[in-house]
Amino acid sequence: MTTSADPLNGKRLTARGVKTRARIVTAAADLMYVRGVAATTLDDVVAASGVSKSQLYHHFSGKDMLVRAVIDLTGERVIQRERDALGHVSTIAGLKRWRDQLVHNNALRHGAYGCALGSLASAVSDHDDVARLALEQLFAEWQGLLVDVFRRLQQTGVLPADAAIEPLATGLMGALQGGYMLAQTARDVTPMVTSIDMALKHIENLSVA
Amino acid sequence: MKAHFAQVLARETTSLGAVTDAADLAHWRRGLIEELMTPRSPYAKALRQGGDTRDRAVFLDQWRDLIAVALAPVVESGGGADDGADVQRTAVLILAAVHGGSILSRVAKDAQPLNAALDVALGPLLAPADAAPAWTGANGPLGNMEL
Repeated sequence: MTTSADPLNGKRLTARGVKTRARIVTAAADLMYVRGVAATTLDDVVAASGVSKSQLYHHFSGKDMLVRAVIDLTGERVIQRERDALGHVSTIAGLKRWRDQLVHNNALRHGAYGCALGSLASAVSDHDDVARLALEQLFAEWQGLLVDVFRRLQQTGVLPADAAIEPLATGLMGALQGGYMLAQTARDVTPMVTSIDMALKHIENLSVA
Repeated sequence: MKAHFAQVLARETTSLGAVTDAADLAHWRRGLIEELMTPRSPYAKALRQGGDTRDRAVFLDQWRDLIAVALAPVVESGGGADDGADVQRTAVLILAAVHGGSILSRVAKDAQPLNAALDVALGPLLAPADAAPAWTGANGPLGNMEL
């Protein structure tokens, strides 16, 4: 029988166990994205995933453990999406297309849900250090993709060779995450657009004339 | 409106009201970072998502307007070509940088991300000595050599 280790409690899982666990985590991730972490109960997850409560407890000792699994899944999704979107960007125009895609996706819901990763960070960073460290790692990875873009911009002479690209990537991520939050409150994607555009304008202004 | 929203707006009215030039703006920024990195500060509490969205929206609109009013003389004294619309847009970026930078700083347990976000948002407005900018020599000989 195929088994694989449960990444959280080290239990060996059967193929069926892996499937059940994935169903729980996917349902929880969707609920937490739409309602927020605090407003999602384990009963909600049981109802949405169609598993029994004892099955849920077999995989997760409590909500914190489930949230950690949601962070892993959400992180995987976001990093994959961003790797696809940023992996080959080597121009300012390419960065603007990346911005268009993020805005377009967020505008479909009038910005109501924000960034899946940013919302998790907002909800758990203060009370679960394991979750916080996982999020720190994920944001570092995402920012690393932006650093790679800036490095390519340096190689083509668009950005000056001595530009401090790591703080620049962190700053752009801050503008993006803050833009998501403002859009979420305004139920309107406009402040997100403004914030990313102004940050990109600043980066463009660093360009060697 | 929530108490910490009102507290932040009252303090921002005073601190942003005192801004007349880039040095004042840099001073405001230092105080702001200190507040945001203090978990019990009304600033840190006000930035936590949650609660009534309409209250939060009103709070953010008012704070943004305070920032925009404070920016206007700094932009003018800097001889910037920015017009009123750009001041409004910069105020949105600053507010976003405050929010996004704070969450990244909470995740990292370090003020650096908040600093980096505010560098991007305020950098163009602050004199190099005040801003400690995250980049150098954009127009210097090294940069030009890359052409």
